[in-house]
Amino acid sequence: MSTATTDGLHDSVSLVLEGRITAYTAAPIWQSAIDTLAGNPNRRVIVDASRLEYVDDVGIALLFDLIRRDRPPDAKVEIRELAPNLAALLRNFDPQDFAAPARGQRPMGALEHVGRATAQQINYVKELAGFLGECASALRQAFTRRGVVKWGDVLDIATEAGANAVPIVLLIGFLMGVIIAFEIGLVARQFGAVIFVVNGVGVAMLRELGALMTAIVFAGRTGAAFAAQIGTQKVNEEVNAISTFGLDPIHFLVVPRLFAAMLVMPLLAVLADIVGIFGGALVMATFDVGFLQFYNQLIGAVTVGDFVVGIVKAAVFGLTIAAIGCHRGLTTGAGATSVGLSATSAVVTSIVLIVVIDGVFAVFTS
Amino acid sequence: MEQTQARSDHTVAANGTASPAISVRNLRMGYGARVLLDNASFDVWRGEILVLLGGSGSGKSSLMKNIIGLYKPMTGDILIGGRSIVMARADEKAQLQRKLGVMYQSGALFGSLNVLENVRFPLDQFTDLALADKNLTARMLLHQVEMGYAESLMPGELSGGMLKRAGIARAMALGCDILLLDEPSAGLDPITAANLDRTILSLRKNLGFTFVVVTHELQSIFAIADRAIMLDPVSRSIIAEGKPADLRDHSTDSRVRQFFNRQPDIGRQKASG
Repeated sequence: MSTATTDGLHDSVSLVLEGRITAYTAAPIWQSAIDTLAGNPNRRVIVDASRLEYVDDVGIALLFDLIRRDRPPDAKVEIRELAPNLAALLRNFDPQDFAAPARGQRPMGALEHVGRATAQQINYVKELAGFLGECASALRQAFTRRGVVKWGDVLDIATEAGANAVPIVLLIGFLMGVIIAFEIGLVARQFGAVIFVVNGVGVAMLRELGALMTAIVFAGRTGAAFAAQIGTQKVNEEVNAISTFGLDPIHFLVVPRLFAAMLVMPLLAVLADIVGIFGGALVMATFDVGFLQFYNQLIGAVTVGDFVVGIVKAAVFGLTIAAIGCHRGLTTGAGATSVGLSATSAVVTSIVLIVVIDGVFAVFTS
Repeated sequence: MEQTQARSDHTVAANGTASPAISVRNLRMGYGARVLLDNASFDVWRGEILVLLGGSGSGKSSLMKNIIGLYKPMTGDILIGGRSIVMARADEKAQLQRKLGVMYQSGALFGSLNVLENVRFPLDQFTDLALADKNLTARMLLHQVEMGYAESLMPGELSGGMLKRAGIARAMALGCDILLLDEPSAGLDPITAANLDRTILSLRKNLGFTFVVVTHELQSIFAIADRAIMLDPVSRSIIAEGKPADLRDHSTDSRVRQFFNRQPDIGRQKASG
């Protein structure tokens, strides 16, 4: 049990601290002691520590807080009968060292937030442009010089980013086909135009959704993984070690990932196209459009151009996601938090850029 | 610390008049089927600085993690203040763990908090203190480890020595009386390592902490240790226990002499010679 009691005299007041003052018990004692000091601004305060049994670092902070307070010369706080080792410890602390308030983060106004965020984004775009230039140069060298690309690394990354992503891409592609066919089918049936749903499913999957949905899955799965892998290597100074060996981190870490992404994204998009159209065909069967009828309608509705646009888009999306993931990894700061931020930021930036690029494709290929 | 100073006087305890801070009894520990240490028994007395020695892979850090309760030993028991941390239920174990302040090899500061917030973290979690009071306590702890100037820095901005000192300050925050330090001076320059040794001695002197220090830095061992326990990876046992100077000067065990005299491994010496 620890208590703080006061005993008022004419020109001084006595504050008795007793028992154990620890991190767990100090809060009410501290408050009571401060109240006593505040209630007697012009009287001397004698702190009787003779009955203190135990104090930890919080208790020491409490004692120090009492004696460091700015009070008139004849109203100082005096601690009596404190154990010599504690008294010696208290003398090690200079109130001047603790006069300034603890420095926290300066509060920022909304305008400053917007300004800083804008400046940050402009800097990021500049950095990214520079990085993409370096990547383009590295890719050109990879195509023109032999031995620059480690194809074993490319294959390993492609396996992880591509083959292992097949189940989730199949699931998402299939569901997209089912959902589109069903939603459009319900509306089209009211106008007797159910057969044209096949056109919608075919064109949407081949030109847009196959590549787009695969890219979103790829960004969440592989883009984040690239950022986290390279970010961790940056934190562990592995990237510095690569540079110290005279190797270019772009060639060593980024180029294999760019190649792998460009290689697997179109393949995944083709799979998404196939299962999406299959899902659409299943739904259309419930609208009395048989598989053969679906096939004939589809052949007449889509062109090779639709398919090629989707595949090219998928390759560009793959390149973009890999580049952003690698860039975020290479610009990771220090510590585990930075790695997490890099991974999150890689996913968000990738998805935003994918949608922008998709819009550009829509304008130029329509 | 006790007002009576009992906490800071380990010689009283060593006479057997007080219970040990930590008791390790017939401990067998390891990973999976791999035994690192077998049949180990020793006590850590209040106010003592005990150093765990041994070459790389001898199980020093693993023993520390068994004491903390992070790993469960294969057999045997570990008592913290007379209560078993091995047999304790989850809530009892958490209570016992709060008696222990631990500094991990890398400092293990939280990357998203600055130094002051890191040291304040246990106080934020477990006390009802006002923010200003918690800040004052945290700043005084940082002052004690000579880190007062770095309170607003982020862990990513700190050197190895600063991380370790901030880690010690955080370990002390909840008023625990036993501090376990994992390789506090490893990888530090001699001046920073000596400063850290001085900090450990000063904390023991002023606050009466009990220390268990895992290290193989000879200068630190001689500077701070009251007693040392040496682990051997081959025999998987404690092969020596005593004052470091006695072990160096009087041990009859060649492995102990080899360690303290920094002699290379005899087998390798022959191979290279």
